[in-house]
Amino acid sequence: MKAIVANRLLDGDVVFWSSGQWVESLGDAQLFGEGSEAELDAAVNTGKGQPTVVVDVYPIDLAPSEGHWAPVSYRERIRALGPTNEPTHGKQAEGGDVIDALRHAVGAARSTGRVDLIRRK
Amino acid sequence: MYQYDVIDKEFLVDRSNEFRGQVVRRLAGELTEDQFKPLRLMNGLYLQLHAYMLRVAIPYGSLNPAQARRLAEIARDYDKGYGHFTTRQNIQFNWIKLKDAPDILDKLAEVDLHAIQTSGNCIRNTTSDPYAGATSEEVDDPRVWSEVIRQWSTLHPEFSFLPRKFKIAITASAKDRTAAKVHDIGLLMRQGRDGALGFEVIVGGGQGRTPYVGPTIKQFLPTDRLLSYLEAVLRVYNRHGRRDNIYKARIKILVAALGAEEFAKQVEEEWEKIDAARADLPVAELNRIRNAFAKTPFETLPARSEAFEIAKANEPAFARFVRNNVRAHKQPGYAIVEISLKAQEQTPGDASGDQLDVVADLAERYGLNDLRVTHAQNLVLPHVKLDDLPTVFAALQAHGLATPNIDLISDIIACPGLDYCALANARAIPIAQDIARQFADLDRAEQVGELKIKISGCINACGHHHVAHIGILGVDKKGEEFYQLSLGGSGAEDASIGKILGPALSADRVATAVDQLVGAYLNVRADGERFLDTYRRVGLEPFKEAVYAQAD
Repeated sequence: MKAIVANRLLDGDVVFWSSGQWVESLGDAQLFGEGSEAELDAAVNTGKGQPTVVVDVYPIDLAPSEGHWAPVSYRERIRALGPTNEPTHGKQAEGGDVIDALRHAVGAARSTGRVDLIRRK
Repeated sequence: MYQYDVIDKEFLVDRSNEFRGQVVRRLAGELTEDQFKPLRLMNGLYLQLHAYMLRVAIPYGSLNPAQARRLAEIARDYDKGYGHFTTRQNIQFNWIKLKDAPDILDKLAEVDLHAIQTSGNCIRNTTSDPYAGATSEEVDDPRVWSEVIRQWSTLHPEFSFLPRKFKIAITASAKDRTAAKVHDIGLLMRQGRDGALGFEVIVGGGQGRTPYVGPTIKQFLPTDRLLSYLEAVLRVYNRHGRRDNIYKARIKILVAALGAEEFAKQVEEEWEKIDAARADLPVAELNRIRNAFAKTPFETLPARSEAFEIAKANEPAFARFVRNNVRAHKQPGYAIVEISLKAQEQTPGDASGDQLDVVADLAERYGLNDLRVTHAQNLVLPHVKLDDLPTVFAALQAHGLATPNIDLISDIIACPGLDYCALANARAIPIAQDIARQFADLDRAEQVGELKIKISGCINACGHHHVAHIGILGVDKKGEEFYQLSLGGSGAEDASIGKILGPALSADRVATAVDQLVGAYLNVRADGERFLDTYRRVGLEPFKEAVYAQAD
């Protein structure tokens, strides 16, 4: 499973793609499963075409965690939560199931979780 | 303290207005991100993991109370109530919004603060001794020369687009509190045989992926020739630095490739071509700057303070604070007070807005309006009367600022790491907190003595791990955080680069490993030896044995 992440230009906040909009919580993000690669590419391209709204648009890999989806990489989990030294700062402050699932997710398949960072030119 | 004149003040306002215009154009789509990024970086604004980060310069680590209060205000109004002091006498705000950045720069400019040259391939904020003007060890006040360099290097047209960033440190004491030998240029002030002052010039030190202790390229540079000589060094670097490869673009690579002797020769040749009358600072201007620092209004006091002695004898907590955080002052009846930002569970180098206000008040009431920032991420009240020390201690204690651990094992330097930084591979802060917890017992920490632990979340080494007695480098092993330990580094006058202990350890093994290293040290240390001294005497093996023999 995949999602698309970016930073909002105006405040730098981490945002996720959701059917034509950018949302602040990974729990509200649009998920792209097997077979929806073309749709994913189209959404990434749309995001990259919004330079006054977001910067640094890229897809990330997700894995199941406690009935929700969590980024495979540690780095992206921290982006979806907030800093681990200040548990009340950032998105994690809201709490809830999705945040718990993110906090409990373990393991990582690659260093950044950023899909095709190396393979794709 | 040096006061900005009309030119300085107008310049900061202009600069802030310029950036405001650039932000408007970026948001309107008139500037692309690629065009805008170098402009925001020139104003210290980075995009990190969760938000923009603003790095504000604290020139040569010196603040007045109004400036500290303004930083507190920015922390509360634009951040989440905190600022983070870095390893180069800057402060970073972690939760900045792009749309607020021009307003913040305006507010900084009102108190003569700015974020100019805190990023980008230019001459950065000069690091200096936080004890400047207070310690009897110094042969001159290094702030004078730091201010000279600030004025000379600010928007220097020739040196604004160097091959890579460029960092200068100045110390005028034999004991180096600036990490001068691992800067691009380290200037060590010396007194010549005839009493004249000069600089030993060290060039090409650095950390990052290729750490070097810099070689000396000039034993004695007369102080009045400083700027022309710096110009010559920068010119040779600007001409031959490796612009083709970001990893080889720092001056240390050029100096290592040419050899210190050849590099020095080229600098001398360049220096001869420079018109000294144009390049060097006129005596009148030097005197103007020097006078600004000469006016510290010390009182004439007896060397011994009864109030201080009584408090020390009656209050063990105060006595411990004095042992670890208070240093001798050049002026009888005064002391230098270090304020640790490394309390248990605190993020190393973080101060809340309220804490900054407390320290500003103390500096105003008891500290001759002077406050310093150290590269070890702590604060200093450089001029406190011994008579006032018990009162100052009580005020610090009431706000979680009296942790008596300067240079002890829990006084850990840590970069923001993967909790904030877009470059990091692993977290640094939780590792520092784990180790501090392990050594929370202050008696034990004092028994262990001076032990400098420094943690970086990636090879860029902002956490100075190469020059730590115990260095810890976060690495990414197949997507998981691992930590590589190194021993025997020092960023002080006895500078050296640490040696890797062995295979990287998982996060939950690090604090235990540090405990094992300390155990090995206590087993073999000779009288009066610091951890570093013992390591240098016995080598890596006993420590390796302590950590890895039990691992199997």
